Amino acid sequence: MKKCILSIASLALSCLFVALSVSGVLALDYPNKPIRIIVPFAPGGPNDVVARLVAEKLTESWKQQVMVDNKPGADGAIGMELAAKAAPDGYTIILGTSGSVIVTPSLYTKLRYDPVKDFAPITHLTTTPIVLLVNPALPVRSVKELIALAKTKPGQFSYASPSSIFYLVGEMFKLRAGVDVAYIPYKGGAPSMTALISGEVAMLYDTILTVVPQVKAGKARAIAICSAKRSPVMPDVPTMLESGLSDFEASSFSALLAPAKTPPEIVQKLNTEIVRILHMPVVQERLSKMGADIVGSTPAEFSTHIKAELEKYARVIKAAGIPRIK
Amino acid sequence: MTEIIHNLMLGFGVALKPLYLFYCLVGVLLGTLVGVLPGIGALATIAMLLPVTFSLPPEASLIMLAGIYYGAQYGGSTTSILVNIPGEAACVVTCIEGYQMARQGRAGPALSIAALASFFAGSIATGIIVLFGPPLTEVALKFGQAEYFSLMLLGLVGAVVLAHGSLLKAFAMVFLGLLFGLVGTDVYSGITRYNFGTRELFDGIGFVPPAIGLFGFAEIIANMEQKETVEVFTTKVRKMMPSRTDFQASWKAILRGTALGSFLGILPGGGALLSSFVSYTLEKKIAADPARFGKGAIEGVAGPEAANNAGAQTSFIPMLTLGIPGNAVMALMVGAMMIQGIVPGPGVMTERPELFWGLIASMWVGNLLLVVLNLPLIGIWIRLLTIPYRLLFPAILLFCCIGTYSVNNSTFDVLMATGFGLLGYLFRKFDCEPAPLILGFILGPMLEENLRRAMLLSRGDPTVFLTRPISLGILLTAVFLLLLTVLPVIQRTRGVVFKE
Repeated sequence: MKKCILSIASLALSCLFVALSVSGVLALDYPNKPIRIIVPFAPGGPNDVVARLVAEKLTESWKQQVMVDNKPGADGAIGMELAAKAAPDGYTIILGTSGSVIVTPSLYTKLRYDPVKDFAPITHLTTTPIVLLVNPALPVRSVKELIALAKTKPGQFSYASPSSIFYLVGEMFKLRAGVDVAYIPYKGGAPSMTALISGEVAMLYDTILTVVPQVKAGKARAIAICSAKRSPVMPDVPTMLESGLSDFEASSFSALLAPAKTPPEIVQKLNTEIVRILHMPVVQERLSKMGADIVGSTPAEFSTHIKAELEKYARVIKAAGIPRIK
Repeated sequence: MTEIIHNLMLGFGVALKPLYLFYCLVGVLLGTLVGVLPGIGALATIAMLLPVTFSLPPEASLIMLAGIYYGAQYGGSTTSILVNIPGEAACVVTCIEGYQMARQGRAGPALSIAALASFFAGSIATGIIVLFGPPLTEVALKFGQAEYFSLMLLGLVGAVVLAHGSLLKAFAMVFLGLLFGLVGTDVYSGITRYNFGTRELFDGIGFVPPAIGLFGFAEIIANMEQKETVEVFTTKVRKMMPSRTDFQASWKAILRGTALGSFLGILPGGGALLSSFVSYTLEKKIAADPARFGKGAIEGVAGPEAANNAGAQTSFIPMLTLGIPGNAVMALMVGAMMIQGIVPGPGVMTERPELFWGLIASMWVGNLLLVVLNLPLIGIWIRLLTIPYRLLFPAILLFCCIGTYSVNNSTFDVLMATGFGLLGYLFRKFDCEPAPLILGFILGPMLEENLRRAMLLSRGDPTVFLTRPISLGILLTAVFLLLLTVLPVIQRTRGVVFKE
């Protein structure tokens, strides 16, 4: 009799266990197969490097293959769409950036993904500050001088933007500073940097990583950094706030997100492990060499951040009259 | 001068270390293999191997990746000559003459000249990098949007010259190529054009699907149509080395191609690409007997091959001296450096001289390895042609599909390539050539982007193309070239009229 009850009880318990693990509620045996990190950009870019670093360390600690799957195209939209529609079992996650999560949804109306509704944020990986550069031949050494010069010659100067987030930052600057400079789009950091160095454009916004070598070599001059605090990589460069512009903060983030219906336990497990990886000395060293500041926030904190960024740029788009594209 | 010698000694000291020599060998072997296989290109291979470079010392990873890049240029000419499929955009021209030479049983000389021309050009280009690297970047920086526009226009005029059939059909193909190039997103406004709502066409059609489709699939379909066994030239192959006359015909072309490629390669963004097209145009225009072109003229292989290898080497210059990648492959190299924690920029030359000079020295070593490897291999490649076509073409088809897929991990690209294949087959039926279409397709978007940006920068002033001296010079050359092409046709028709 006892044996019978015991065997039935253990059978029931194991059934419960299996049912719960299959449904992911227990998440005890996650991960038990390879995990795919979708990177919606071509390999070799700074975001791709971060993703590969995290993938490498996760593979080491979880003994499961974590691989990067590059799915470039459409400013990140192709990859994001794929991730939004993927099975929410924690085996597909996506590397999101400011471009694909904030800017593309803000500029395009008919996207097939919603950055808030279709995704469950895992963690905010890094923040990379954006820097405003000018051509060294220009006789300005600070934002105030730049604004003064631009006001004397409205419409004569232009700024280069490697991709759409820098476009929005540039427009934000125009609004706050009240200047009229022309927007010249370029396809990527390389041609826009060439344009700045050769003097074709007067100003350029780009992330700190690409900017540092040129500034060190004297080919470009950094006059302001758009983050809230100065960066230890360029301690002499004042922030926009310090330079007198109010409510001006912009940076580029890289983050990991999962499809919306992924069980919260799995999201939490990912978050805990990734945050631990972010604080490893070797990872910190690699990332800071790239100019990135490590964040490693909780899912809730990151969710708030996303919403704040979306709102901020929505206001810029409205105030600057930027047309949204269908 | 002593400084240069010192740097070279440093460089060779690094490049000839057994470990780095090994990685150089691996790189060039892989590159040749990848170049020979139709469809899979250097870009995909480097992207796939990037994670591997995590664990390698930085010099080794860069040497290997660089080896893959210029190795693929060597290998790409093999597929262009043997099966008329361009492995890279720069190899399209080699298809034109090289394949014709192969059909005449002269695949051996074609392949040898391609290898030797590439080696010569590569050595000279490496020398140029060593001697003139940094000053040349200053020249490259003088090329603004207006100059690029004029250069692309010159390229388009040259595209018409690429055709050896009806001039009208060539014009038509160029314009069709321009139209295909319109598909995608407008850089300035972000509005999508002709993508019919599909996400995959957001960034445009891409180079690989049309190239593989028009050259590869179309060729296979056309060959399937022939009832008798395909291509008797497989049995007629005799000599492997070029004859004396071949050398005499080619050496000047090689020199010209090297000069062109070395210069055009420095220009960021499409420079190396243009070099083979411009070289072919030049050779055809100054040849004593232009009618030979299109039927296997060896200058049409020697010049462009030299040009594209020189261009491939010098395209490293902006990346190494300024940290600005000139094309997608260079951008991957930048990624490889970042993975190692090295931020590319003007400082790399002074902060990590062993990396900088070691890489440059390894490029020459790699070129040497390639020519030593490739010349004997030519015999094997030729024997590949003797495989019955019914066994060969499924393999080609397979590699083309894999290659097309691997660019964007997208099956849509493969479907597009198939569509282009059918289109290419139709073109063959109508006696229209794909090369001008491809050139129009590549240059069209660049032309538009540079035109609009030049106009933006000049605030709508169109005279900017004429007031800037370099731009004016290039435009005049383009007009001259156009006249050269069109005038003989006019004279002939006038001659006919007068006769009557």
